[in-house]
Amino acid sequence: MGSGMSATDLQRASRWVDDHGECLYRYALVRVRKPEVAEDLVQETFLAAVRGYEKFGGRSSERSWLVGILKNKIVDHFRKVGRETSFTDMEFLSDEFSEKFVPMGFWNHNLGPHEWKAEPDEVVHRAEFWQVMRDCLLKLPEKIRAVFAMREMDGVPSKEVCAILSISDSNLWVMLHRARMALRECLEMNWFDTPAGGTA
Amino acid sequence: MPEEPYNPSPIGNPSFLARRNWWQTTLVKFIGKHTPKCTEMVRILSQSMDEPMPLMMRIKKRLHFLICCWCQRYEEQLRYMRQTARHFPEHADEASDVPFSTEMRERIKRKLAETPR
Repeated sequence: MGSGMSATDLQRASRWVDDHGECLYRYALVRVRKPEVAEDLVQETFLAAVRGYEKFGGRSSERSWLVGILKNKIVDHFRKVGRETSFTDMEFLSDEFSEKFVPMGFWNHNLGPHEWKAEPDEVVHRAEFWQVMRDCLLKLPEKIRAVFAMREMDGVPSKEVCAILSISDSNLWVMLHRARMALRECLEMNWFDTPAGGTA
Repeated sequence: MPEEPYNPSPIGNPSFLARRNWWQTTLVKFIGKHTPKCTEMVRILSQSMDEPMPLMMRIKKRLHFLICCWCQRYEEQLRYMRQTARHFPEHADEASDVPFSTEMRERIKRKLAETPR
């Protein structure tokens, strides 16, 4: 291929930016927080998409294909960051959920998990659910959020998460446990226990 | 009953096995003693989302769930969160109203046009 983008490529890329740019940017921003880093990641995603368009066989939607590329870019970003900073968030390891349990170690039954009535298939179509999910994610400490998002949103296998962020298995488990505990609590309070979440 | 050293199943417990009669109470006490406490169980349940749980622990988990609907819900909700979290990236535009400005849009398009393939 020569240098510079053909008119067709450019037209297509331009349409992607209009149709999916907002989604990619907002996702990147949940992951990296810094607008300039998020914009760079989105930029790199579109560029990789133009270069790899032949490989897109239309098996998935354009949106999920582009999101898939962005996820890889985010993983690369964290691979770099993980090498430079310690990724074990020890501050968050204190047991702040102890009030949920009675001293003997069983759930305090008034504070234990409630039933979640709405099915996952239903909530994925509710914009308000995604707003709550985002708010809850942003409440997690940054490193914990990074670990959780890489594992549960990007679907990176746990061994790989450890390698990317240079953390041990046991640190990963502790961080994920904390993230899940906090996210569950937040989703329950702000979605499942509200009229919106209970009556979906 | 409240003065007992452990009590995984107070009055009104909606779990499968609650202390509704002598036989159930004995069973609940036995299971409570021989399976991990809930604080430990939630940690194990989270870990089992990332690596397979040993057979013995799977059996203990099943028994524990008979006396503790909260841990059972907790496990269901971990799966629920995984199922929904996977869809978050494709719905991120619905999740916030952070502006994706025209300038940013144009800047990205311009850089794309300038970048050699």
